[in-house]
Amino acid sequence: MDIDIYESMTKMSLSEPERSEISAQADRLVNSFAALESINTNDVDVLFTVLDIKNVFRDDAAIKEIPKETLLSNAPEQYDGYFQAPKTLE
Amino acid sequence: MSYFIEDYGVRGHNAVALEDSIMQKGKQVTANSKILEGFVSPFNAAVAERLINAQFTVAGKTSMNEFGIPSLLNGQTEVLGAVKVVSDGVVDYALCNDIFGQYRKQAAENSCCYIHPTYGTVSRFGIIPLASSMDRIGVVCKNISDGFNVLSKIAGNDFRDGAMYPEKTYKYEISDKRIRIGIPKAVTQKDELFDENVTKTLGECFQTVDMELENFDVYKQVVYILSCAEISNNISRYDGVKFGYRTPAYRGVNELYINTRSEGFGTDVKLTALMGAMVLSQENYVPYYEKAMKVRRLIKNSLRFDNYDVIALPCSIGNDPYENLSLYALSALAGLPSVTFKHNGHNIQLVGNVKREDLLLTAWEVCRHEL
Repeated sequence: MDIDIYESMTKMSLSEPERSEISAQADRLVNSFAALESINTNDVDVLFTVLDIKNVFRDDAAIKEIPKETLLSNAPEQYDGYFQAPKTLE
Repeated sequence: MSYFIEDYGVRGHNAVALEDSIMQKGKQVTANSKILEGFVSPFNAAVAERLINAQFTVAGKTSMNEFGIPSLLNGQTEVLGAVKVVSDGVVDYALCNDIFGQYRKQAAENSCCYIHPTYGTVSRFGIIPLASSMDRIGVVCKNISDGFNVLSKIAGNDFRDGAMYPEKTYKYEISDKRIRIGIPKAVTQKDELFDENVTKTLGECFQTVDMELENFDVYKQVVYILSCAEISNNISRYDGVKFGYRTPAYRGVNELYINTRSEGFGTDVKLTALMGAMVLSQENYVPYYEKAMKVRRLIKNSLRFDNYDVIALPCSIGNDPYENLSLYALSALAGLPSVTFKHNGHNIQLVGNVKREDLLLTAWEVCRHEL
């Protein structure tokens, strides 16, 4: 498995020891997935979730249970009541 | 592994330990990950709220694998905090989220019991999500009957979790039904001692039924593919912007994401995230992810609970954690309840039909008195 592609997709950068450990394990896992090929799944629908019930929606009304200050208190950086992050556009 | 990541010092009969993935308002919750270092819960998880309302107190947050992902690289060598804390008698109960079976396995190995309820009967609101279609809070306990008492306090519909059965409460009571135990011989034979001793003694107390678990040989692949995909999605939220760890070294937002996630996640989480991205990628979606979802349906549809009430399984088939996933996948994939416990030196797992925890309780009582 070429893990470089997925490293970029998942926004991670592996150290060399991690790369070698993960590569070996990933290859083993991918090889094991080959066993799925022999199972006939023609005309079988996918199963996303096991519950045979419909989704439940609440009223589309804002609930302000948690104060802004509480939510901001977990931010690594904040400024003037907003989350602070680097510029996303140069 | 120590008992607690954070110990509140509360003990006594009504003290319950929570895995460090369950939120308690005003307390730190990290799922044992650097990426959530210092994160303080802004609200209570539904299970924490219900425990507190039922006059239980929280003893502390137990140590765990990072995000609850067991190591396929090195295996699970240490006893997890939620099991150790009950096994050593520090508290009588601990709550945790067990997708991969590590708590179920360790509970039996350490003379505790584990109750894994039906998916959709205990609210997931306020737990740090892992694989959402399989996440569920279970109970580590010394005695299954007492464990069900705790479960009855936390189970029941919660509008904040969109994937729940409608029942507001659940009562877990012993049934008069004569239990029929399904024995999947092809699986039990993988553990010689279990096959020789446990299936024989189960036959002395219960009607046993020979059965087959269709596609058992790919259970581990299916649960691994689906859980990795869900986990990879769920942990994409950790980017160092709104909460949790942020790398001190970055130039621009892309480096902020990459350095934060690279420094914040451990190797097992990285493997899971990469595998999840792989099975969801355009070229692999159909052969792996979609295929696994179809086989999941086949597995769920293959069960015949009109022929048996409970399925007996061993708790381990060797030392390879990936192979052992097979034993715990049935419950995860089909949303079934299960109990694990040690009896006469053997680790036993019983899996029941959806919302038939009463039959698991009954089977355990029979085992306790007659085996």
